[in-house]
Amino acid sequence: MSGQRQRTADPGTEGPLLSVRDLTVEFETERGTLRAVDDVSFDVDRGETVCIVGESGSGKTVTAETITKLIPTPPGHILDGTVELEGRNLLDLSERQLRKVRGDRIAHVFQNPQDALNHCFTVGWQIREAIQTHEDVGDRAARERAITLLDRVGIPDATSRYDEYPHEFSGGMRQRVVVAMALASSPDLLVADEPTTALDVTIQAQLLDLLEEIQDEFGMSILLITHDLGVVAELADRVVVMYAGRVMERGGVYDVFDAPAHPYTKAMFDCLPGRGRDLRAIEGTLPDLRDPPPGCRFAGRCDFAREECHTGTQPPLYDVGNGQDASCVYYGPDGDPEALRDGHGEGDHDE
Amino acid sequence: MRWYVARRLLWAVVATFIILSITWALLFVTQQQALASIQFQAATSGGDAEAAKEAFEAQRGLDRPLWEQYSSYMTNMATGNWGYSTSRGQPVTAAIMEALPYTVMYSVPWTILTVAFGLGIGLYSATHQYSRFDYAATFAAFFGYAIPNFWFGIILLVVFGVHLDLVPIVFNPEAPVFSLENVRQLVLPVFVLTTGSIASLTRYTRAEALEYVEATFTKTAKAKGVSDRRILLLHVLRPAAVPLSTILVADLLGLFIASSYLVEVVFGIPGLGQLSFRAIQTQDTALVLATTLIGVFIAIVGNLLQDIAYTVLDPRIDYGDR
Repeated sequence: MSGQRQRTADPGTEGPLLSVRDLTVEFETERGTLRAVDDVSFDVDRGETVCIVGESGSGKTVTAETITKLIPTPPGHILDGTVELEGRNLLDLSERQLRKVRGDRIAHVFQNPQDALNHCFTVGWQIREAIQTHEDVGDRAARERAITLLDRVGIPDATSRYDEYPHEFSGGMRQRVVVAMALASSPDLLVADEPTTALDVTIQAQLLDLLEEIQDEFGMSILLITHDLGVVAELADRVVVMYAGRVMERGGVYDVFDAPAHPYTKAMFDCLPGRGRDLRAIEGTLPDLRDPPPGCRFAGRCDFAREECHTGTQPPLYDVGNGQDASCVYYGPDGDPEALRDGHGEGDHDE
Repeated sequence: MRWYVARRLLWAVVATFIILSITWALLFVTQQQALASIQFQAATSGGDAEAAKEAFEAQRGLDRPLWEQYSSYMTNMATGNWGYSTSRGQPVTAAIMEALPYTVMYSVPWTILTVAFGLGIGLYSATHQYSRFDYAATFAAFFGYAIPNFWFGIILLVVFGVHLDLVPIVFNPEAPVFSLENVRQLVLPVFVLTTGSIASLTRYTRAEALEYVEATFTKTAKAKGVSDRRILLLHVLRPAAVPLSTILVADLLGLFIASSYLVEVVFGIPGLGQLSFRAIQTQDTALVLATTLIGVFIAIVGNLLQDIAYTVLDPRIDYGDR
């Protein structure tokens, strides 16, 4: 991959905390092999928040869950690529070695708080399990720490709620419990997969604030998976835009929001209400990942698509400037990025 | 919870009461086999059939008012006076106490094996879905389920008893409980019963466990760094245990009552099933009643335990201590 920039938040340490390179993941389905993640590369530096944005089916969850090999294999199959945590490739580790990474160095928060906690055990028991899996501490000490964590994530009256079951908590409170559990071993990286999607808007804002607070406090990095550009604007330092299993665009959050480079990113912003322009839905649907068409994955729905967009393979991530990369021929050697600036391209459909 | 258990216990008593009342009513309208033969004898020997009937009824207390008959029946039932077995010439309770150990002897290993293998195979199938083992287990489960126990028992007796001479064909009730002889003569019945009962438990365990193997909380546990075995035994088996406990109780009860007849008859084990079977053959009403009621009581206690198990196993089930 060309044009990859490595920025280090902390100049004292070398290289990014997490470095995903050329990650390719396939799933065996009854109707053929589906390439859910195709040649995905990105970095997460220490203390920064990277957001993977994309619509449903873009491969962002599979990317997140492949980092610590949480995807079921089979039917999943990691075809290619590396996931390096401080230079160590996690994909080469044995299951036993991976267990030491999971929860301890890299923690996860999943989308659905209704189902994320086991209904048969108290929340205290489940947090204590997270602590005691990685540290040899007694029940009493683990309990103390679990209560401190519950208190930290904003559960009122944590001592008495320690012995309650998940069904006695609201959705937002349950997600806070999940966050507390993820913090149990002070991880270096928190992978949060749509952590607020299932919650009310007000609860969403509170949870995002909480994530920001604990990030500063614990000095950890966050990899946030979302389809919500509002969440991206709120939390992200850098953005990775995914579409149909491929990275379409990467860059700093201000640069991407100010000047989205890839036509897909532009189209995505046009779907947002309240930006002073007409709402425009993206015509068409995601390509079939079992048999993707040649060329750029987005070409079929792109207003600017040219003939060459429908041939060959996905264009490489060209350097756009400002540390932004876009996988689009308009930024290539023969491209003219100005053509994307105003209005719509040759393939424009008039409504 | 305590109040729930108390109410549930009370209901078990009420259910028992109702069942006993219904059996009393059924007995009341049933033709008295003994009376018919006494009347026949009296008539053939030139006596008065009507007088013989009155004498018989007076002796049995059948000339008393209905209410009195009913209350004395219920009192007898409650105090363990279950009547006299005419075919065996001993009190019904004594006959049951003699037969019970033989039933327990094969029921206990059978239940343990069913639970251990049913859960084990089911869990393994769930975590290795569509593997070769899963297909083999599915085949074995349906085989055991489809094949009639009594027929399978006879075939095994012919093969292992007659042709291979590995097990005795005739059951020896005198064999000491913990002896090789006893083990050898119980191997086949236990095997036959286990193959019959393991199937549904395996299939249900697989289905229930699959639901939780794919749940988000299992992924949460894995993401915490918990080992696969711990996930299976705690995070999957625990929630699956709630529906499984129902199936287990219902299944084992059904089999205990139904298959023990066939298996005991085929293998010649003098247990409760055979006792009941012989009682029916000889029209020994008191004994038929007693052996049937034992099944009923086991079912009532089993359902009671199952309901209590729910409250313990699934904290979401709240019976509200009102």
